[in-house]
This record gives sequence, structure tokens and C-alpha cells, in this order.
Amino acid sequence: MKRIEALEILAAATAALPVVVTCAATSRELAAVADRPNHLYLLDAMGLAGSVATGVALGLDRARPPAAPGAPASSGAPGPLKAVAIEGDGSLLMNPNVLPTGGFLAPRNLVMVLLDNGVYASTAGLPTYASRVDLGALAGASGWNVLRAAGPGELGEAFGRALELDGPAFLHVRIEPGNAPGVPRLLEDPVVIARRFRDWLAARAATSGETAGQVAS
Amino acid sequence: MTSPSGPAAGPAERQEPPPYAGAVARGVWDAGADLVGYVPSASVAPVIGALVAADGGADGASARVFPLSREEEAMGVLGALPLTGRFGAVVMQDNGFGNALTALTTFNAAYHLPLLVVANTRGGLGEYNSMIHTLCQHVPGLLERTGTRVFELDRRSSPDDWRAVVGEAGAHARMTFRPVVVLTHFWSTDGKGA
Repeated sequence: MKRIEALEILAAATAALPVVVTCAATSRELAAVADRPNHLYLLDAMGLAGSVATGVALGLDRARPPAAPGAPASSGAPGPLKAVAIEGDGSLLMNPNVLPTGGFLAPRNLVMVLLDNGVYASTAGLPTYASRVDLGALAGASGWNVLRAAGPGELGEAFGRALELDGPAFLHVRIEPGNAPGVPRLLEDPVVIARRFRDWLAARAATSGETAGQVAS
Repeated sequence: MTSPSGPAAGPAERQEPPPYAGAVARGVWDAGADLVGYVPSASVAPVIGALVAADGGADGASARVFPLSREEEAMGVLGALPLTGRFGAVVMQDNGFGNALTALTTFNAAYHLPLLVVANTRGGLGEYNSMIHTLCQHVPGLLERTGTRVFELDRRSSPDDWRAVVGEAGAHARMTFRPVVVLTHFWSTDGKGA
């Protein structure tokens, strides 16, 4: 499965969810598949997608701020809107701390999809550690619920299951190396990206009643 | 950047914090922080203890106060809160800006996301570590060069002033839609300077 094929499946499944996506080729390809206001493209800040998605998840969970260590994972009440991170293996390895942090804070509404091609595809295809280090196992050791997928059918089904889990979910997806040809650079002003994401999220919250919608001011 | 000691211990949280540390903690809440992340430091442990105690927690964590492993991660986690209509604060040590600068500039500043950062200073008066000044003495200049607004507090003003400045710095962050840093020099106050 190529990255852009995985992104087509994820885009179809996340039209109503906030999605934080890692920089460079992954952001470009997602924008090429569907450029929507529920996408927060990180144009740089490599390694930060998981941290930013963790913050979005915590911010959305107004009924239950981050639990103190040892607190139960579920109150039994309907959960808050899920926050989705789309991350790459090279980027995750720039900030693997996001995994133990997610396990410790245990946001119940965080889903990270790792598109693992074993290389820094935006950086000359140089290899990452992922050929020898199982990043899904690393997530599992950190306390995440880990699911795995290889082909398109598995991805759609596993992502659906990840959304149903209570607690941080990590979907490890093996994809082919390489970038989709002919995808233009993403040259939007990050302020515009943030504002449209924030406005979309506020409107989404207002219609769902899942979160408050006013921007901090 | 962590210092050898960890988060404040439970029993210490139940004691009244030193006035300057307590003032910083009250200022953070005055600033309207919904959530507070911290990177451990011995110098800010009393601040963290006061934040946790005020929020009903213990052992370095509460419903709204929690540890993070590194400063750039703190910028991402707490910096994302305004996207959801909330506001975050980070408590850390100033040598951690060496870790945080890329995140601070390419995320918080570039996306115009307000954030309050309160950092104790190292490498100045009262310092015992022979190398830490090589970064820390340049932190105000580094932050200014990145366009990050910095306010500094030291022994020359009262705990009440520290509280007011920290609280107003949060308002300044929201007003300017940018991260704002308060550098606290604990030397010759009632707090730990290094």
C-alpha cells in the first residue's frame, strides 16, 4: 500500500474528526487527497504531530481533564470527540517521548496512525530505525492500545476499531516507501491553517455538543 | 532538561509554599490556565507543588497539572490547547529553551497560538554549575531574536508583583496570539536559585 492510498482511506474515515498530520510529503499528499478545514497540517515542527494531537485530545475532553496517575480510564459516559494524529516513522523517531507521555496521561480520545515506510521519505529516502525497531511494540510498552494493518482493507477495519477504543490507540500501518509523484508543495500560511481548523472544531463542537466552542481570548 | 530531583513529594505539597513560589503558582491560575504541563526542575519544584496542591492533587500530578518529558513536547501539548478554545501554561527551567526553540518557533509562534511559559533561570547569580551559563545567559537574547516576548522577575520586586506579572503575561499571550515567557530569577528570594 502506498502512502497516498492509505491517506485516501483515512480521509474518507475522518471527515468529521480533527486530524493533525505530520509535515512534508504526508501533509502534501493528504491535502491533495482532500484539503479540508479539519486537517491541521504541520508544515515544519517535525516530530510534533503526536504532541499536538495529544493537546487537542486533552483540550476536547472538557468533562474529564487529564487523569492523575492511577485514575480509571473510563467514566462510562459518552466520550469526547476523537483527535487523530497521522504520523510517520521518521517523525515519530524525532520525538518518541510522545509514546510514554500518551501512556502516562492516557487521553481516552487520542488515536495515532503511524504510516511506517521505514525511511525518511521526504529526506532522500534515508533509512529510519523502523526496519529493526518495532514502533508498535514501543507504543504497546508505553501503554497504548496497539492495532496493526498492512493492506487497504485491514486499514479501514482497524481504524474503525481504533475509534471505538477507550484510551490512546496506536494504529501501526506498514506502507511502501516513496512519495506520490506530482503532488504540489503546501504553501499555505500556518496562521490560516490554524484558524480554519479552530473554526471548524468550534462549529463541530457546537453541533455535536461534545465540547465548548469558544476560542481562548 | 531535567534536574536531579523529581517532582515535589506529596507531603511537601500540603505545606504552604515559599511566598515567591506560591506567587508564581497563583499567577499561573490567575492567567486562566486550563491545563499546566511541567518539565521537572529542583528550582520550580515548589511552584509545581503549589500548583498541584491548589488543584487537589498529590505526588506531582493533579487533574490539571501533569509532567512532560521534554520542553518541545510541552510546547506541542500545551500549545495546542487554543485550537480547542482552551489555554495552557508550561513551567520549566530556562536551559530547556535549547530543546524547545524549534517547536516554539515553527509551531506556537508560526500558528499564532497563545501560551504562557514560566521558566526559572540558571547560570546567573547563585549558580554552582560551571557550564550551564553557556546557554542560559543567552536565553533572553535568543527568545527576543525569535520574536518571543519575555518578561523578567527577580529579587527586586515582591511576591505580589511576581503574581501580578505572571497573571498578566497570560493575558498578554492571549492578546497577542503568541507564546509569552516569564523568566523568574529565584536567587536572593526565598526560593532556590540554582
